[in-house]
Amino acid sequence: MASATGVYHTSYRADLALRHTRAEYFRLALALATIAALPFVVSPYWLTVLNQIGIAIIGAIGLNLLVGFTGQISLGQGGFLAVGAYTSGLLAARAGLPFGLDVACAMLVTAAMGTLFGLPALRLKGLYLAIATLASQQIILWVVTHWDAVTGGTSALVVPPAELLGWQIYGDMAWYWVIAFCAGVATLAATNLMRTGIGRAFVAIRDHDVAASVIGVDPFRYKLLAFFISSAFVGLAGALTARYNLIVTWERFTLDVSILYLAMIIVGGLGSVAGAIYGAAFMIAVPVWIEELSRSLSSLAFLQPDLPAIQQLIPGLTIVLSLVFEPRGIARIWQRIKDYFRLWPFRH
Amino acid sequence: MTSMQTRATAAIAAVVLAGAMSACGSDDDKSSAGGANTKQTVKVGGLFDLSGPTADVSTPYSEGVKGFVKDYNERGDGPRIELTAEDYKYDVAVAERLYSRYKADGVVAVQGWGTGDTEALRGKVTADRLPFMSASYAETLTDPKQTPFNFVAATSYSDQMRLALEWVGEEAQGAEVASFHHDSPFGESPQEAGKAKAKVLGLGFKTYAMPAEATDYVPQLRRAKAQGAKFVVIQNVSTPAAQLAKNIDEQGLDMKIVCLNWCGDELFVELAGKAADGAVGVLPFGPTSVEADGLAPPREFLAKNGGNLDKEGLHYVQGWYTMALMAEGIKRAADQGKVTGDAIRQALEAMDAFDTGGVSAPVDFTAQSHAGMKGSKLYEVKDGKWAKLTDLASVS
Repeated sequence: MASATGVYHTSYRADLALRHTRAEYFRLALALATIAALPFVVSPYWLTVLNQIGIAIIGAIGLNLLVGFTGQISLGQGGFLAVGAYTSGLLAARAGLPFGLDVACAMLVTAAMGTLFGLPALRLKGLYLAIATLASQQIILWVVTHWDAVTGGTSALVVPPAELLGWQIYGDMAWYWVIAFCAGVATLAATNLMRTGIGRAFVAIRDHDVAASVIGVDPFRYKLLAFFISSAFVGLAGALTARYNLIVTWERFTLDVSILYLAMIIVGGLGSVAGAIYGAAFMIAVPVWIEELSRSLSSLAFLQPDLPAIQQLIPGLTIVLSLVFEPRGIARIWQRIKDYFRLWPFRH
Repeated sequence: MTSMQTRATAAIAAVVLAGAMSACGSDDDKSSAGGANTKQTVKVGGLFDLSGPTADVSTPYSEGVKGFVKDYNERGDGPRIELTAEDYKYDVAVAERLYSRYKADGVVAVQGWGTGDTEALRGKVTADRLPFMSASYAETLTDPKQTPFNFVAATSYSDQMRLALEWVGEEAQGAEVASFHHDSPFGESPQEAGKAKAKVLGLGFKTYAMPAEATDYVPQLRRAKAQGAKFVVIQNVSTPAAQLAKNIDEQGLDMKIVCLNWCGDELFVELAGKAADGAVGVLPFGPTSVEADGLAPPREFLAKNGGNLDKEGLHYVQGWYTMALMAEGIKRAADQGKVTGDAIRQALEAMDAFDTGGVSAPVDFTAQSHAGMKGSKLYEVKDGKWAKLTDLASVS
């Protein structure tokens, strides 16, 4: 790991530490302060956007564990989010489970479903696996829209407001703290997971699965474990979507969503927890920002008829350009910026 | 590093430019807020699909809503309505964000569009006590015990289906009906009601999903032929419905088409061409080719503003009168005192039937039912135009 000059690690423990320098602690404090201050300075509209970003961060971290760290491509993200959302929503609405317990159950059920649909990964790789997971997306959504007795089938599932220790969580401000807490825990969990033997086994499978099995990593076990853990994160994101929006509709979890999440981790940086965070924020905030911009530009009459087209063009163009200029994503760009200042005035 | 610096400079320049432009353009609205009647201004939020999969029908609908508000404000016979209409691209996440912005802006009611946004916001409008009207006419939204703030301003999909089957029953007793529908909650919404109604009427009834990505419906029609279907009820939007009509024509099948609301419009006739001839439509809001007193206000408004109602079509009228209904609720709420979501809801429930001048059945909400219309006229395509087939029919 790149570190500041003059920092020497004399033990494995020090080498594995998440932070080494004062600058890193300072940045952490700055980030925490920003997170704490943001809801008080942004408009209510942007607070909703922040909440959507927070939930997307959890889902993107989950997907990055699978795609970025373990190298198993998944197009089933939307379906797994639906499993989490419906499990949590149904348990809360029909069984009256308290908030927290339903979310935990949703994580477990989604993890189990993820593992089940991950079984083809033992035989398939790359594009073939992508198509196999695409099937899971279609199957899950079909079941959700047709299993009337359980999901309510065609109509939306209304979820009661969440309560925590007798305090009703309602409104964007209250949810901001819940979502921020969950996203924080997810970030910590994923970062620490990658420091363990399990995390190193994931990376070994991604880099070369045959070599990994030669050195004693059981691909069967670890690929399924990757699907299990990744889907648990996605289940959490799904459950929060359900409880936060007070309603679950299948249209929230279409194939577009699966692709959006893949775009998040690719733009943010594959195989990086921070990348998943940057990517989720980028992919949700940029279209919103473009909407805002076009709203303020709407007085320009000659642009008016083409605005929707421009709005759709810009996010696509941003992805293409960011991939051309930095295929390793925003996380890598940030790393380069940090290196630039760390090494200044020297280039290398 | 120079290339990076250039890029950063370009980005900053773009931001500054955008900021400057937005600063230039923001004062317009205030100056145009003319008229002496500005005793009270209420805000209404609008969610439409102007660039998504249903943009073809949502755009004229949204124009109708906007047109009515403009006309209403010019007339000035009630509190001024400030409508913010945005494109949500049929993306549920965008609808959620826009809704929270409207809520923060202090809107008193929301005009929505389709099943996507209506279902997604059902829980929130109930919790925030904001009346919500949209062009999603699912029967599940009509029960005030479940969805106290959703108002269905037309005949529900289920009632449209019942009316269609009653007409079929009168035309041909014991006929087989093939019910073709969009493969989604929107499409499936009236199928249960259809099954039950067909049983009562002694009709054969089978449902056929129309997959969104299909380019033709010949396989489904084969099965409908095997069923012996003489009537095809379509619960889908006009483009796939027109494709289905063409397939029926090409295959030389002897099947009569009965369109429900979203399949029956001018676009369907235009796209299906001669295959549309003879098709019947259960259309809660009548087509512009059938004159009605209620068509005069939007027609005059458009003529004044350089438009043409026949070009805009029936969805324009649909949007116009849905907004007219909401405006009536707002006006009555204002007469009682402060305009709030609750006051509008009470006004809409207490109000006598709202007359649309023969464009549709009168709209009547009560505290027990938010199903606005109980009946609909039936129309038929003759020589490439929708013409009246029956007078107002109600579900028996």
